[in-house]
Amino acid sequence: MDFVRKLAPIALITALLIFAGCGRSPSKSEPNQITIYNALHAKIRGLDPGDIGDTTSAVVASQIFECLYQYHYLKRPYELIPQLAESMPQVSEDGLEYTIRIKRGVYFADDACFEGGKGRELKSADFIYAWKRIADIKYLSKNWWIFDGRIVGLDEFREYTKSCKKAEDVDYSREVEGLQCPDDYTLVIKLKKPWPQITYLLAHQPTAPMAREAVEYYKKDIINHPVGTGPFMLKIWHRGSYLEMVRNPNWRGEKYPTEGEKGDLEKGLLADAGRDLPMTDKINWMIIQEDQPRWLQFLRGKIDASGIPKDNFGQAIDPQRKLTAEMRRRSVHLEIFRDPSTYWLGFNMEDPVVGGNKPLRQAISCAIDREKYIELFTNNRGEAAYGFIPPLMKAYDPAISEMAETGYNPEKAKEFVKEAGKIYGGDLPVLKLSLPGTDTVFRQIGQFIRNNLEQVGIKLEVEYTDWPTFQDKVKSKSAQMFSLGWIADYPDAENFLQLFYSKNASPGSNNFNYSNPEFDRIYEQASVMQDSPERTELYRKAERIVVKDCPAVFMLHGVAFVLYHDWIHNYKPHAFGYGLAKYRRIDQAKRAAYKGEK
Amino acid sequence: MTTYIIRRLLYTIPIIFGVLLVTFILFNVVGGDVSAEIAGKAASKETIEEIRKEYGFDKPLFFSRDSQFINHLKNAVTFNFGRAYDREPVTSKIKRGILPSLSLTVPMFFGLLIISISLSLVVAFVRGSNWDTTAVVICVAGMSIPYLSFILFGQYFLAYKWGLFPVFFSPDLSPVQYVALPVIIGIVSGLGSNLRFYRTVMLDEMRSDYVRTAFAKGLAARRVLFKHVLKNAMIPIITRVVLAIPFLFLGSLLLERFFGIPGLGYLMIEAIGSRDFRVINAMTYISAVLFVIFNLVTDICYALVDPRVSLE
Repeated sequence: MDFVRKLAPIALITALLIFAGCGRSPSKSEPNQITIYNALHAKIRGLDPGDIGDTTSAVVASQIFECLYQYHYLKRPYELIPQLAESMPQVSEDGLEYTIRIKRGVYFADDACFEGGKGRELKSADFIYAWKRIADIKYLSKNWWIFDGRIVGLDEFREYTKSCKKAEDVDYSREVEGLQCPDDYTLVIKLKKPWPQITYLLAHQPTAPMAREAVEYYKKDIINHPVGTGPFMLKIWHRGSYLEMVRNPNWRGEKYPTEGEKGDLEKGLLADAGRDLPMTDKINWMIIQEDQPRWLQFLRGKIDASGIPKDNFGQAIDPQRKLTAEMRRRSVHLEIFRDPSTYWLGFNMEDPVVGGNKPLRQAISCAIDREKYIELFTNNRGEAAYGFIPPLMKAYDPAISEMAETGYNPEKAKEFVKEAGKIYGGDLPVLKLSLPGTDTVFRQIGQFIRNNLEQVGIKLEVEYTDWPTFQDKVKSKSAQMFSLGWIADYPDAENFLQLFYSKNASPGSNNFNYSNPEFDRIYEQASVMQDSPERTELYRKAERIVVKDCPAVFMLHGVAFVLYHDWIHNYKPHAFGYGLAKYRRIDQAKRAAYKGEK
Repeated sequence: MTTYIIRRLLYTIPIIFGVLLVTFILFNVVGGDVSAEIAGKAASKETIEEIRKEYGFDKPLFFSRDSQFINHLKNAVTFNFGRAYDREPVTSKIKRGILPSLSLTVPMFFGLLIISISLSLVVAFVRGSNWDTTAVVICVAGMSIPYLSFILFGQYFLAYKWGLFPVFFSPDLSPVQYVALPVIIGIVSGLGSNLRFYRTVMLDEMRSDYVRTAFAKGLAARRVLFKHVLKNAMIPIITRVVLAIPFLFLGSLLLERFFGIPGLGYLMIEAIGSRDFRVINAMTYISAVLFVIFNLVTDICYALVDPRVSLE
């Protein structure tokens, strides 16, 4: 009895901690509320659009914030349609002035930052404020690259912000010539030079409008308090754990698309044509960083859709790239689609060993067995790459593999090595490759590449670093060879071409520090052209120049496999898929039946 | 005793200074600049420069009144850890993580302590028997199995296959439901080393003359074990137990990550992964302070439980 009495306080402390430690309770669900259950691989860094630089945060924020334009959900090739804009922009003849009318009756979600807590109407000034904020150097936005050198007067505004001592000193009422709002529903953008990609960028999450009241009310904590115009609004965010969104009652409303591409009707993707969006009441985002719990939660039906972890690939997909019997029994659906991505081993062209020795770079390119690499490290979720423009892009050149002459060919690699030795003037030194990770998979990748190169007589030392150290090495031009990739921000190959433009050299996006005057000339010419067969041809020509110079070993273009449960409807993969939760429909009865299954 | 405590507290100054110096060198001198990482994928040189200015990376590392190290010391002493690289205040991150971590580690700690001490008394009592041998074999096996294996096995079989517990945290679950399995895994995985340690401590006491005398006088085994053996084995137990308390605040890295408990272990690994020095610094500093304090508490406890020990 005495023993029990002594243990009682311990039991009490323990019980109190368990109950106290687990955060706020979720909002109580009403019986008929329809919820989407999603899992995120990484934590949400912040929900301030101007500062978002990672995909996870962008996917979440895109349910709350809207942009001027959005991609049509069903049509392919990807097509822009108005979102907050009334219509597509009116463009002046010289392509330097864009006039955009904004929808009336769009309201921000209710929030304490507004007078009386009631969301106010969206005005054109909210866009200008958001973009000036990105230009403000004190704000340290990750997205200045969008507007850098594009809009009349905005670079000057940025210069002015540099002269301000503190962030609070920046005067946002200062005029920017290229950003005008003649009235509350009209926005005029004046460009320094033609910028055909602007409409894609106006559909890009960081360009969403911001309510100045929210920024001033929450100050630096604005990252935790998103106030947008989108179909959902934040209800609970337990950082690092889960986030809950509910329907925004102020949302302007939208209908499910009535048109799609060929085959959408047969797949049932037009069954909800014309219906009011969103078709769900809540979205629940769980942050599950480890593969095993995420996969088990999917199998248990606790999350609606999932990618396939490397170790579970065989459990889900058979050698014919079809669902296994187990997955079919669970009525799971599979979608395979191409990512707008390319991954490579880049060379630092300013490095004296690899930069000035083209045969050495070609030897390395010919020595690496891309097909084997894709099989070993991606479960065949990739296509071998020979150029940098991915197959999803209109400018993709199917003939690039024949032209490249740097595909896997160990014999040819040995010849290139001999030539490289002559240029170097003796035995080649040990080369250094930096990889952005330290875990087992990265070590296996390092070993694979080292073995490939050793077979043709090239010695390689692999350096395994964490991501920030790797970034630092690449941006400071101190990495000799590095493994990186790029996922397109918009469906225009210009987004890939700029990676090789000499003016974007490190710390800019041209991590190769590649410089070719001919390429630069074509890039400068093509990047200001409207979409046309001539522009596509210029893109391809530019790609061929790069491939010939070989500043990188192009390894693969990504292919994604996504599984989703039977109760999710209107699931169509989208390469630029932000703000898509509004299109989903949930069959509650099927979900309940699955959960009851033993 | 007061003099002793004051002296010990003064000793903590060079220890904490050493910890701060080592952490600073590891992440700022050896580790290099993280400005490019903070700036994002296509940041211009000037943005990176501005970030260096904002976070003070442009200042000299040492040997200046306004050096990075001096600021690092100032911030630590005033508990002003600033904002993490994702712009959230470090203190809010820590405050948010403390209770989830403790809700996992405290039940695990007490559970492990009570079970391993009780079992060690039993095993010590039946020393030399087949039960004892079996217990030692199980302990060694338990110590040899990696912690991660316990987690993967527990999560797959107990939660997924047999449905006894939830696989992962979910906001609609009660706290007891989702903390239960990680606590059980924590206890089972820690049992091997703890039981083996306490068994050795108990066996040392069991061989003492006073135990033989107690049994010879006809005292019941329960009374001998709990009243005499346990009391005399308190010094090594206190050393192990009290020094483990600071680590409770650090949470459990793997358990938190695999079961979705947003505690300080989770926070620390995130910070190391993104080289968020401000979070790492705060966590290391707080741990060092707690460790030093609990070290002192251990010494004071010695004097309380053992009349032979005096603090001078």
